[in-house]
Amino acid sequence: MTAGKVPEVDVTAPGAPTRRRRRLVVLLAVFGPGLIAANAGNDAGGVLTYASAGAQFAYRTLFAMVLVTIGLVVVQEMSARLGAYTGEGLVSLIREQFPLRVAAFAVTCLVVANIGLVVSEFAGIGAALELFGISRYLSVPLAAVGIWAAVVLGSYRYVERVFLLLSFVFVAYPIAAALGHPDWTKVATQTALPHFVASHDFLLLVVALIGTTITPYMQLYQAAAVADKGNGPTDYPSVRIDAVAGAIFADLVSMCIIVATAAAIGGHGQLASAKEAATALRPAAGANAEHLFAIGLLGASALAAAVVPLSTAYAIAEAVGVERSVSRKFSEAPLFLGLFSAQVAIGAAIALAPGNLVQLLINMQILNGVITPVILTFILVMANRRSLLGDAVNSPRFRLVGTTCVVVIAAMATLVVVETARTWLGLGS
Amino acid sequence: MAPRPPLPLPGGVLRRHRSVRSVRLLANRAVAEALISVAGLVGQPVRNPSGVDVGRVADVVARWDGAPYPPVTGLVVRIGRRRAFVEITQVAEIAHRGVRLSSARLNLEDFGRREGELTLAADVIDHQMVDVDGVRVIRASDLYLAEVAGTYRLVGADVGLQTLARRLGPARWRAKPTPDRVIDWAAIQPFGGPGTIRLRSPNQELKRMHPSDLADLLEELGRRERQELLDALDPQVAADALEEMHAEELGALLREAPPEQAAALVAGMEPDEAVDALRDLNEEDRTELLEAMPAEDAERLNSLLEFPEGTAGGLMTTLMVTVQGDLTVAQVREQLRDYADRRSDIDAVLVVDDDGSLIDDVSLFELLLAGPDVRLDSLIGPPWPVVVDATAPLRDVVECLIENRSSSLVVVDDTGRPIGRILADDVVDALVPDRGRSHFPRLLS
Repeated sequence: MTAGKVPEVDVTAPGAPTRRRRRLVVLLAVFGPGLIAANAGNDAGGVLTYASAGAQFAYRTLFAMVLVTIGLVVVQEMSARLGAYTGEGLVSLIREQFPLRVAAFAVTCLVVANIGLVVSEFAGIGAALELFGISRYLSVPLAAVGIWAAVVLGSYRYVERVFLLLSFVFVAYPIAAALGHPDWTKVATQTALPHFVASHDFLLLVVALIGTTITPYMQLYQAAAVADKGNGPTDYPSVRIDAVAGAIFADLVSMCIIVATAAAIGGHGQLASAKEAATALRPAAGANAEHLFAIGLLGASALAAAVVPLSTAYAIAEAVGVERSVSRKFSEAPLFLGLFSAQVAIGAAIALAPGNLVQLLINMQILNGVITPVILTFILVMANRRSLLGDAVNSPRFRLVGTTCVVVIAAMATLVVVETARTWLGLGS
Repeated sequence: MAPRPPLPLPGGVLRRHRSVRSVRLLANRAVAEALISVAGLVGQPVRNPSGVDVGRVADVVARWDGAPYPPVTGLVVRIGRRRAFVEITQVAEIAHRGVRLSSARLNLEDFGRREGELTLAADVIDHQMVDVDGVRVIRASDLYLAEVAGTYRLVGADVGLQTLARRLGPARWRAKPTPDRVIDWAAIQPFGGPGTIRLRSPNQELKRMHPSDLADLLEELGRRERQELLDALDPQVAADALEEMHAEELGALLREAPPEQAAALVAGMEPDEAVDALRDLNEEDRTELLEAMPAEDAERLNSLLEFPEGTAGGLMTTLMVTVQGDLTVAQVREQLRDYADRRSDIDAVLVVDDDGSLIDDVSLFELLLAGPDVRLDSLIGPPWPVVVDATAPLRDVVECLIENRSSSLVVVDDTGRPIGRILADDVVDALVPDRGRSHFPRLLS
């Protein structure tokens, strides 16, 4: 029998990367899905829309943001509850709970909204790199190919961390808001007192704010992430705290962006470029503000440019009941990989359309805002179904609050659609 | 550490051939041609013998009684604002274009769900089910009925995308079957609808399925369906399948299942795999599972949990057969009988002295060749077992295996007593990056 001797040879490779990775995930799980989902609203579209709100209307959109936050909390809570009590993602639930044609309508809306998001992520990448002097006609196609390849070849999970790190740059916003000498009395009164501006631009911007804050994608993410983690009814109290806290935290950051931008360039009219938006970070970053902003924008955009099309494709493939895994060949998972690729391609292509990138980005948030009430209606109907949720069904009071939210958002979205149609037809201003 | 390139996953390559197969109805051409689409039937008129419309088909009710092709027991018919149940005995004919009743006098009762019955359009179409031949989770885009020897039966599930498109299209397309990708119902494991439990004993082929295939299915199913499948499986079969699951999905499964069931499953797993699973849970869930387990199992797992992961102690299984040298081969064979269900985890028996210190391992092959009356100590000799101590890091374990070209290692404590074994396949598992297959793409997932 040989002695229990361990050879002294140095092996360089095989550690336990999986273990270490899992530890990291456990650590990061403290930021529960709720926090991540809601903060997905602070992506490229979010940052530039909030900045635009601050630039165009100074502090006047703050009260609207309070209402939007209430809406977000209500909606994210319902999504998390659906995920926890059914263990299924929203798209699968919609297929099981509604007639196929109705479900197909919902999925179409979701895909359109998410392509809008992907467009704005690529526009964000383009705008960020333009600040470094790189043309978007170069950066956007390269980014699209790069992200697509990274996901399909399986190395995206490593790249993802870099992007996430970059996007943490945006914590500079609360600091900038504090250091930027905003008019605090105005901030306080316009946050607390009901306040609206009766103009077409204001309406459009509020719908954009709704669209970027209560993005259909976030509900999809919230429900799926809760279900996928195996969080069930017994875990629901902590899931609910995570969802609600995440929504509130995300909106506090959003409001900081509005305040910081309002203090820097408030009332100067429409936001014309990402460069202008970057000046809001000056109080915190000084002369580096522009580059810092670009880095954060790049990170946030690239992060979402992969996760949004990927999870949309996943959710739909799951609902259709076909293979869904990036480790499959195209012939094995044509629907899943096709949907993913198409979203990236279409998103990048539209982001290349000539015109103002910031404006394109905000228009995409308006598109999301118009679609939001459709998806919210589906969520509300399902959360009202006792046959689905049992005792976790919406209480009559909650049902009233939820319905009010959906009706208000739907009314604003309808107004925007009608106004836009009138403008196109040459009837209105 | 540089990330390892992902290994190619076996995809469709590893589809195991199943030779035993029940007779398939859809192979019969006459049956295939007489298919009636359930999705298309919904909304079609119900006529009495004189051809007068009395209502519209709302749903088709079938009985799940373990028969491979469930018989249709009746129709849900919408008459005005009522949803009435029409027994199949009152139905003369079901066709693409509608239903003809056999008598003018209708015995109508309001529809109520009965035990063991499912409404096909509401509970089965668009829901998840398992295709046991293809070993995959599907969603039926349509179901097909056929008249077999005078009885209408559910004979197939359609998974074609074309069929989805047909159902989205205008009404006149809907009734026409498009059996482009139909799976014979005998190969389907369906799940119950809301409120219905245990509709049908599991498909026999599920029991014959390889644990890793079952693991794939468990990973892909939704929570309710997964729980139902888990309940239907024999606990030991389920525990074997759990060993093959990816860490994250396994964690989710254990959190979802009732604690007693989860504890029983973990206790049934190989100790090293069970420890891995427990490590991935948070403190609270882990304690809950250990408390719900028989004390003996919990103690064994707790002692393994004390070894840090990434060391030989954290990697080893405590499953081993130790014998004294004075036993005969026949006696050892008798002992091995108790491990029949663990045959893939045992490759040798360990021979120890009176103090319990390791002397040698004798492979099963040696045992097979030796005569029944030979004493074990006479089989002692080279090759000697490869030994590591419990604190050896993973890379030393790997190095030991590579150097010695052996398929397993023995882990010993300070005094040379064997405390566990490490099999090469467990090391392979530890080295391969764990990529969740069917995982919602979360950030940092």
